[in-house]
Amino acid sequence: MNASKALEKTLVASPERKLEADADLSVVRQVQGGDVAAFDRLINKYRERVLGIVYNMTSNREDAADLAQDAFIKAFQSIHRFQGQSSFFTWLYRIAVNSTLSHLRKNRLRSFFSLESIREDDPVSRELLDALTDRTGVGRDAFVRELQEKLNDAMQKLSIKHRTVVTLFEIDGLSHQEIAEVMGCSVGTVRSRLHYAKQLLQAELQPYLR
Amino acid sequence: MKDKERKIAVEDLLRLKRAERPPAEFWARFESEIRAKQLAAIVVRRPWWDGVPRIFAIASRKHLPLGAAALALTWVGVHYAEGPSPAMRTAPAGPAESPALAVVPAAAAPAASRAALPMESAEIEAARVVPAPRPVVASSTSHLTKAPESIPAESVSRSPFGDGIAVTLADFRETQPDIAQRDVFGSDREFEASVASDRQPVAEPLARVDPSGDRLERLLAPALPAYSSGAGSALSGERLKQRASDDRLYESMDRYGSGGMSLEFRF
Repeated sequence: MNASKALEKTLVASPERKLEADADLSVVRQVQGGDVAAFDRLINKYRERVLGIVYNMTSNREDAADLAQDAFIKAFQSIHRFQGQSSFFTWLYRIAVNSTLSHLRKNRLRSFFSLESIREDDPVSRELLDALTDRTGVGRDAFVRELQEKLNDAMQKLSIKHRTVVTLFEIDGLSHQEIAEVMGCSVGTVRSRLHYAKQLLQAELQPYLR
Repeated sequence: MKDKERKIAVEDLLRLKRAERPPAEFWARFESEIRAKQLAAIVVRRPWWDGVPRIFAIASRKHLPLGAAALALTWVGVHYAEGPSPAMRTAPAGPAESPALAVVPAAAAPAASRAALPMESAEIEAARVVPAPRPVVASSTSHLTKAPESIPAESVSRSPFGDGIAVTLADFRETQPDIAQRDVFGSDREFEASVASDRQPVAEPLARVDPSGDRLERLLAPALPAYSSGAGSALSGERLKQRASDDRLYESMDRYGSGGMSLEFRF
């Protein structure tokens, strides 16, 4: 029973996300009506999530900043074509993901990573780091940095599409259906890619798993 | 101690990446940059080719109806470029029509029947302007009427079948003029003239033979009506009249079976 509920949760968008989509649509209507300043609310609401997606796909902060800004500008320029058939964040994610995929295809050979700092005020990440190491101070920081490098390295070993699915599902928390909409593929394809990507990551990150 | 015994999966490690955050100054710079880009997007007009990928995207969504339309246009173009199809040249006589049958619209059909089939008349008119290789089959009104006037005589290549039919019909008209009247076969005089005028420039293999003797002339007369003129024509005509008995007539009528608006030749 729990397994089926969990599966349904990954498949269907949550009710909170639907309420959020309705609120976004009213803001989009304002922008379409000529209230350009209303678009700033959408930028402030989604900038961290869009940046998070792009950063986890590129592993480069500067590229991620440029691509996230471009995604917002493209959405702003094309907002008169948005008809509300999908939620705004799905539409915005699709723009961001497509821009990032195009950028990654153009720069396949470029691979340098910049690391963001992990905020340890987040209880989930602090608990996880406590479980991984008993070191404190400088030793703990070095361990966290090494773990981040390993994570980035393992992510970059995935193909672009597999990396995108892992980013959207595991890091940004989108459902299978939402990922399928963003990537323009079937739910089955999303599941298959996710399963394959997790197997690869498991092999790469074996020393950190228990 | 409890934390050390916790099971750690890939999902847990990936969750660490959710906690990665850029510093505060990054967001200040991000804000200023996106403002400048937004202003530029408002001020600077987008070039016209920015919409081209969108057009292609729309076209890719509607590729099936567009492909069908393109196929239809191609078919129409090829169809009108090459002239009417064989199916249009032949009347829709029956469901199981053998290739040996050439169905020709009959000009002598009643006018009321012709008026009831305007589409067929249009097809006939379409066939009139097309240079058909065999005018006997593809002629505008009947196989007995004249060849299309728009076609020069030199450009029409004559077939042995066509000549044979013409000779047989000529014989038939000579022997049974009351049956071979206009009501049955249409205006055939013009066709004869056309056949005779067309035959002159054609270099038939038999025409190269020097018709020196009467015997040769008599032998060649049924095959080539050009030899039926002159001294041997009277003898040849007499023999032809004898051959055209009643049996021959019925047999000929079987070969020229007529049905409704069409007339069929069986070779």
